[in-house]
Amino acid sequence: MDSTLSLKPRGKGKGSKGAPSSNDKSKYQLLKEWSNWSLKKAKVATHYGFIPLIIIVGMNSDPNPHLFQLLSPV
Amino acid sequence: MADLLPPLGTAQTDGKTKVDEKVDYSNLPCPVPYEELHREAIMSLKADNFEGLRFDFSKGLNQKFSLSHSVMMGPTEVPSQSPDTTIKIPTAHYEFGANYFDPKLMLIGRLMTDGRLNARVKADLTDRLVLKANGQLTNEPHMSHAMFNFDYMGSDYRAQLQLGNSALIGATYIQSVTPRLSLGGEVFWAGVPRKSGIGYAARYDTDKMVATAQVASTGTIAMNYVQKISDKVSLATDFAYNYLSRDVVASVGYDYILRQSRVRGKIDSNGVASALLEERLSMGLNFLLSAELDHKKKDYKFGFGLTVG
Repeated sequence: MDSTLSLKPRGKGKGSKGAPSSNDKSKYQLLKEWSNWSLKKAKVATHYGFIPLIIIVGMNSDPNPHLFQLLSPV
Repeated sequence: MADLLPPLGTAQTDGKTKVDEKVDYSNLPCPVPYEELHREAIMSLKADNFEGLRFDFSKGLNQKFSLSHSVMMGPTEVPSQSPDTTIKIPTAHYEFGANYFDPKLMLIGRLMTDGRLNARVKADLTDRLVLKANGQLTNEPHMSHAMFNFDYMGSDYRAQLQLGNSALIGATYIQSVTPRLSLGGEVFWAGVPRKSGIGYAARYDTDKMVATAQVASTGTIAMNYVQKISDKVSLATDFAYNYLSRDVVASVGYDYILRQSRVRGKIDSNGVASALLEERLSMGLNFLLSAELDHKKKDYKFGFGLTVG
């Protein structure tokens, strides 16, 4: 009797593990997925945007250089 | 005659105050940052020798903002299976860089033709806390690195916290113990190769010499000593021993800072002799010559370059 009572909850646990659905993901796994996604987007944003950021910050520092000075090789 | 006497008098009192000076332990100077502990030795012994042609052109648009263009052509080494042979592949690349220097914010970015971005940021969040970030981003997945450092500078100590990608956490602390001696330690934990390590360092410096020693649980023991012979000449020597892999390297180097040029060279116990000459041809025009002879592996590298601006 004790063994059948103890088997039932274990069976339920196994069933839910065997077929994972989005409802059963723990908060920790959601946080990991969200942080991975945001880190990937941040890496792409930095890769494309870091040099333009420096150029924008530099062109707005005083005395403001002209666009011509940025593009000319002299 | 009368005006000869006062200078002699002051010289004597200066000498006396230096000898009688008592150490004020509550007013010690701030120590050198932990990662720059051996910076004088690095200047002589780890000069950046290169192979091939190097041309750097840097154009300042502003006092704070500048752009730089670099062309490098030469063989780059590829790690090979056997330690005796070195595989070199000739490459040529162009690198575009933008720099912004402000007293409170420094941004340096370098972008290569193959899409690799090298980014460095240094921001003063308060006048004691500095954030430094350093990243190498590539187009290939899983080959990018980034590291963030938070540095806190106290009155006679410095503490630093490092966070890197792939779960790397480190902390260093260095404290001035006397006006000349500073002691420090570091702890790090790397997530991917589940390793952790601890290390200690000490630095003793005077006007004429600097001696540092470092021990780490990764197995390295490094000691170096730099003697400043005069304003123009300094000599350095370095000893590194790894007690886990039983590697030993000792090197001796020199650094001559002359009016128009700077020569740095070193010779190694691995049979490597190298030298780097930077000559100032005229205002803003520097000529570089680099040579590195590895007699053990029979690998000889020569490079020349020009830096404009």
